[in-house]
Amino acid sequence: MSKKQNKPSVDPVIIVMLGVIFLAIAIAMIVFPADTNSINIASDSGVISQLMVAFVTGITTGGLSCLAVQGGLLASSLAHQIEQDYAGQIGQKKSKQPAPRTNSAFPISLFLVAKLVAYTLLGALLGWVGSYLTFSPMTRALLMIAIGIFMIGNALRMFNVHPIFRYFSIEPPKFITRYIRRTAKGTETFTPLFLGALTVFIPCGVTQAMMATALGTGSALMGAALMFAFTLGTSPVFFVVAYLATELGAKLEKFFMRFVAVAVLILGFVTLDSGLNLMGSPLSLQNLTRNMFPSQSESNPIADSPQPAADGELILNVQNGGYFPATLKAPADKDLTLNLVTDKTYSCARDFVIPALNYYELLPDTGTVQVTIPAQKAGSTLFFTCSMGMYTGQIVFEN
Amino acid sequence: MLKKTFKIPDMTCTNCAMKIEALEDDLDGVKEINASYHKLEMVIEYDESKLSDEQIIAAIKKKGYTATPA
Repeated sequence: MSKKQNKPSVDPVIIVMLGVIFLAIAIAMIVFPADTNSINIASDSGVISQLMVAFVTGITTGGLSCLAVQGGLLASSLAHQIEQDYAGQIGQKKSKQPAPRTNSAFPISLFLVAKLVAYTLLGALLGWVGSYLTFSPMTRALLMIAIGIFMIGNALRMFNVHPIFRYFSIEPPKFITRYIRRTAKGTETFTPLFLGALTVFIPCGVTQAMMATALGTGSALMGAALMFAFTLGTSPVFFVVAYLATELGAKLEKFFMRFVAVAVLILGFVTLDSGLNLMGSPLSLQNLTRNMFPSQSESNPIADSPQPAADGELILNVQNGGYFPATLKAPADKDLTLNLVTDKTYSCARDFVIPALNYYELLPDTGTVQVTIPAQKAGSTLFFTCSMGMYTGQIVFEN
Repeated sequence: MLKKTFKIPDMTCTNCAMKIEALEDDLDGVKEINASYHKLEMVIEYDESKLSDEQIIAAIKKKGYTATPA
């Protein structure tokens, strides 16, 4: 065993900058998923954007979160020596360390490929199970709220806010961790493959949330695609950080954890808000801000155009970027017909939901669908949303 | 065999518990270790004729954690 010649140094600032960029992309994709017109995709952009969100979630928070849970396992699967170096770095700064492994990229790749396959199969299984469960918009809303709370709880756990938040982390059964640990002692090519597959038993918090989302898709294919996109997203970050794991040490690991915590917290609130939207709650951020700043939608030239006709017909343009106008005004105490007009609309705005009426319809990409709105009291508001809780709008009833 | 509980306040995730449980294989005289991230503690069952508290604490320190008898 020779002395290490050049210890690679990774500036934490650079890593955080990269992380911030990835996070910005993720948030931008979640907040502004509408601009699907700029991407020439003939197929259903709602599915594509959902997969893109899964991928970006993986590349940002998922990779780092998985690192915290599975990084040590990967390191120990490469060689037992690495784990010892990894844990023993503190207090041994000047001690002799082993030479960098020249070919660790190969077993890491094997590990990640096995992980990718295993999680894709798991996604298919979850989606298949989900297909036997009927998820109404309200059920999905509750599921999303639960996922959001789970993510927020996990973030608060990472911030060490209160001991109770530690229970948001699921501890795998002892027999599984023992089996995985003892298998990790091997050094053959088979070991990284096997351990990569076994990581399905020790998913990180973000992965668990993504698994719940895969369950909610109700489709084996979509569940598999979602988990594939997410796990693929985790792979680059996981690869790079795992490769450098022995060099980073515990101090930087804590630094990463804080970054992950912030990212998970933000995504948790986004998921929670989407769930509230899907439930038709006036307390969602979008619905609250729309009522607090009504001028935002009024200033939109498209938003002002269609107003209720005298014959009680409303027109709502369902576009790739959402619903226009976002606020419709309608006469109270009168049955109305809401015309949902799509024109080459491929985003999830097509999956139209009016939670209070328990109405759900997948609109045609081009065409008009009529919905009968029963008479509502003056001063009441009827919220509508897409099935993912991303695009929202409201009908305000007045005298 | 002696069963003893140690508090380990600097565990940050369930993987920390896994790392600590790995002492089962590393330390001679240990029968079983159950580490819990939720409780920030570990329960160790060991042969006191082969292993002392100090050795256990030192082994945990080598893993990067601080242990104190509960």
